[in-house]
Amino acid sequence: MKKVITGNHAVSYGALLARAQVIAAYPITPQTQVVELLSEFCASGKLNAKFIKVESEHSAMAACISAAATGVRTFTATSAHGLALMHEMLHWAAGARLPVVLANINRAMGPGWSVWTDQNDSLSQRDLGWIQLYCESNQEVLDTTIQAFKIAEKVLLPVMIVLDAFVLSHTSEAVDIPEQSLVDAFLPPFELKTKLDVNFPRSYGALTNPDHYFEIRYKIHKANELAAEVVKQTDLEFYQHFGRKYGVIEPYRCDDAKVIIVTSGTITGTARAVIDEMREQGRKVGLLKIKLFRPTPFDELRSILYKAQKIAVIDRNISFGHSGIFAQEIKSALYGMAGAPPIFNYIIGLGGRDVTPADLRNIIDYTFKTDTPPTNIIWQGVRL
Amino acid sequence: MKWLEKYKPEIPVLEKESDYPEWAISLTSTLLNPTGTWRIFRPVYLNKIPPCNNECPTNEKIQGYIDYVKQNKLVDAYKLILEDNPFPAITGRVCYHPCESVCNRKDYDEALSIHCIERFIGDWGLKNVSFEKPITKRKESVAIIGSGPAGMTCAYYLAKHGYNVTIFEKKTKLGGMLRYGIPAYRLPKNVLNNEIKKLIALDVKFKTNCSVGKQISFDELRKSFDFIVISHGAHQNRPLGVPNDDADGVFSGLEFLSIINAGKKVKIGKKVAVIGGGNTAIDAARSCLRLGSIPTILYRRTKAEMPAVPDEIRACEDEGIKIEFLVAPVKVLTNKKGKVSGVELIRMKLGKPDASGRRRPVPIENSNFTMKFDTIISAIGEQVDLSFITPDIIKTDWGIKADFLGKTNVKNIYAIGDCVTGPKTVVEAIGYGKRTAWAIIGLEDKIIYKSENPVKFTDLNTDYFEPLPKIPMPELAVKFRKNNFKEVHTGYDKHMLVREAERCFSCGVCNKCDNCFVFCPDLSVIKDNSAYSFDYDYCKGCGVCAHECPRNAISMVEESKFEEFNKEKLNRG
Repeated sequence: MKKVITGNHAVSYGALLARAQVIAAYPITPQTQVVELLSEFCASGKLNAKFIKVESEHSAMAACISAAATGVRTFTATSAHGLALMHEMLHWAAGARLPVVLANINRAMGPGWSVWTDQNDSLSQRDLGWIQLYCESNQEVLDTTIQAFKIAEKVLLPVMIVLDAFVLSHTSEAVDIPEQSLVDAFLPPFELKTKLDVNFPRSYGALTNPDHYFEIRYKIHKANELAAEVVKQTDLEFYQHFGRKYGVIEPYRCDDAKVIIVTSGTITGTARAVIDEMREQGRKVGLLKIKLFRPTPFDELRSILYKAQKIAVIDRNISFGHSGIFAQEIKSALYGMAGAPPIFNYIIGLGGRDVTPADLRNIIDYTFKTDTPPTNIIWQGVRL
Repeated sequence: MKWLEKYKPEIPVLEKESDYPEWAISLTSTLLNPTGTWRIFRPVYLNKIPPCNNECPTNEKIQGYIDYVKQNKLVDAYKLILEDNPFPAITGRVCYHPCESVCNRKDYDEALSIHCIERFIGDWGLKNVSFEKPITKRKESVAIIGSGPAGMTCAYYLAKHGYNVTIFEKKTKLGGMLRYGIPAYRLPKNVLNNEIKKLIALDVKFKTNCSVGKQISFDELRKSFDFIVISHGAHQNRPLGVPNDDADGVFSGLEFLSIINAGKKVKIGKKVAVIGGGNTAIDAARSCLRLGSIPTILYRRTKAEMPAVPDEIRACEDEGIKIEFLVAPVKVLTNKKGKVSGVELIRMKLGKPDASGRRRPVPIENSNFTMKFDTIISAIGEQVDLSFITPDIIKTDWGIKADFLGKTNVKNIYAIGDCVTGPKTVVEAIGYGKRTAWAIIGLEDKIIYKSENPVKFTDLNTDYFEPLPKIPMPELAVKFRKNNFKEVHTGYDKHMLVREAERCFSCGVCNKCDNCFVFCPDLSVIKDNSAYSFDYDYCKGCGVCAHECPRNAISMVEESKFEEFNKEKLNRG
């Protein structure tokens, strides 16, 4: 059934169809509608889940962790400062290998106070062991939410679905909402092997001395490496069930491209149109959309990007004192490859400033005509 | 250590990464090393004493019967009251409810209307619960002198335990002050009659129109009965003590009330002065109003010092009865025929506190004035008639000397109620009667002494309660009541009863709200049908349960002092 819904409601429908059993959340703009609709689903009985109102995002994640430890499917959603407040518990969810699913609506961090989009909130949570999946459209949001549970439960890692504030969260698109029976076939109930058992009480997450801690950390990383594969497989399985797939990255008209621009989130949609238009003009330009940010799909990145002459990484985020975060990732992925192309890093659209087709054309033009990046960062559109 | 055998660990060897669990989960059951060993404080379920129960002169288990009301168990509620007070339909009406004045809810919003709840249960019980029969038969006989609340209560509990009880009553009908002192608009006679039927069901024998000292001598009673309980009250009027205080048209308050409460006519004038500030004065004034007169109360101190119950003073004022404060009679004025024509009064001011702690009224010189009245009712207090009591029984300045259990200096002779204490309240008389019954039966251990440590407001966690105003006692509007003796208070309906009962904090007594069970972070509260207990193998002693208990029914005891605590608890029972 097709329905015109916002990105936020696409998240809600995803959690509904995935039959989340415990939802704990605290409202924050621009996430509020996600849990609003879910609470209505719970109240009406459409979704048979326990909805826990909490006093903070820290508690929301704590509630999800506790519930997940009993083996139930758990879900929460947040944004920006809410995600930051969860930080300690985000570590906990990953450290406890619990398949919690979280939707984060990308919102710029204050101060200055902002409700508009950029990616610093989610990218600040890079090193936790969480899987991060960035979405381009409302359909992708819904599909990724359903996939997220399957991925999380397979590798026992928490998954974060990421979508742009307002550009997706509050914008309506036609979304195909799959039949529940189809989703059930794709995502059957799961059994958590390590779940709490009152008949065999054990200490969970207790003191772990230096003799053992290291091995357990190693296992988290190994699970992350496995996840890179599982995300791909899950996407393929999803395709078999629903006829839609996204890949961990998506190259668009990259085959003979001299310049490849790298995007994530909704900038990708804008870039597609710009690439089509420039291709018509005979410009050899391609687009690489990154969906899976963590774990890093090294092989996929390398196989596409090493063929280009120049790479333009478009970052709607900034690691202060360094560069755009996606640019760092790409650079590290290509490091040591003989003849790797130069990487131009464009910082753009912080705090929700519009990223227009003209911006992207300018970036592409500049990349074409410049041999090597003049600076580590090129600030696109900032008043200097 | 059987449990250790059961959980004998087979600790896996961790040689390589794949031997490890997915995350930091202990390799063996925590039953090997229960977290209870961390504990330095131990929570214990320990019910405390609610202030209402503690303050009640007859130790009614108020919190307990309100809890039954919440559970819609009215029979149980009724029977629980009867353990301590046989006549809740009476006390629900006339008790001055000291319980409400200490109700912890008063510090939150308003005290519970406990008397309204008690009255409902009392009336409901009379209609729906059959009277109790003696639980056993015994050969001992008891003579009770006087059928007021003290005597009837004592008779009730003695008869229930099989004693052969005979009540000797001077007047034609039973009830003492309940019948002859309290007007029908406060305590309808049919309610009293119905309560008295409980005694008939228990085979209590009555000798009415039988004044000890006249129809039968005190010595005769002593010869014929194993026990004697003196409970004849304080009915003797205290004269005004001013010139002409015996003039035609001067009544004593009790005498006046006794006549009208017996259903007889009494001739009073249009303008009536009622002298005094106690309940008898208020009852007399309100009765006069109902007989068509215009009463004025004359009192020598101010409203704050009035011994009458504040609710009664308020009702009196609502009915438009005037109270002159700080005046005292100097002389009763008469006409030529010797009939009352007025009273000469003197203005008073308050001086230093007297023995009662109230400020003593002092006359203001040359402030005399007169007021015109046709009738004067003197209600300045009652005395105990001690004329028939044999000299071997020791007396005090105001009555018979007896202890808390009613024991006099003579074996098997007891004295209780107003004849010991001087004029007090119905519920105090009931409490005295009950205690003395236990003393005679030999159930002294049932007697409850007032605690120094009832649950305080600050002991409660009021986060779990919502402000809710009390439902006041419904009453007839003044215009519908001031010309008749219809009952002023009309009582709760069932809906009001339940709604008011819901307000009870249940101070100090677990009512299975589940808070401890829900909050325990170690799942160490074990719940079965009848009660909660702690799993001390796991309880870390964090105290969350005790803190979150809304009613202070959990105490934290220092682990090292637990043995001591347990012994003490056993001693206390």
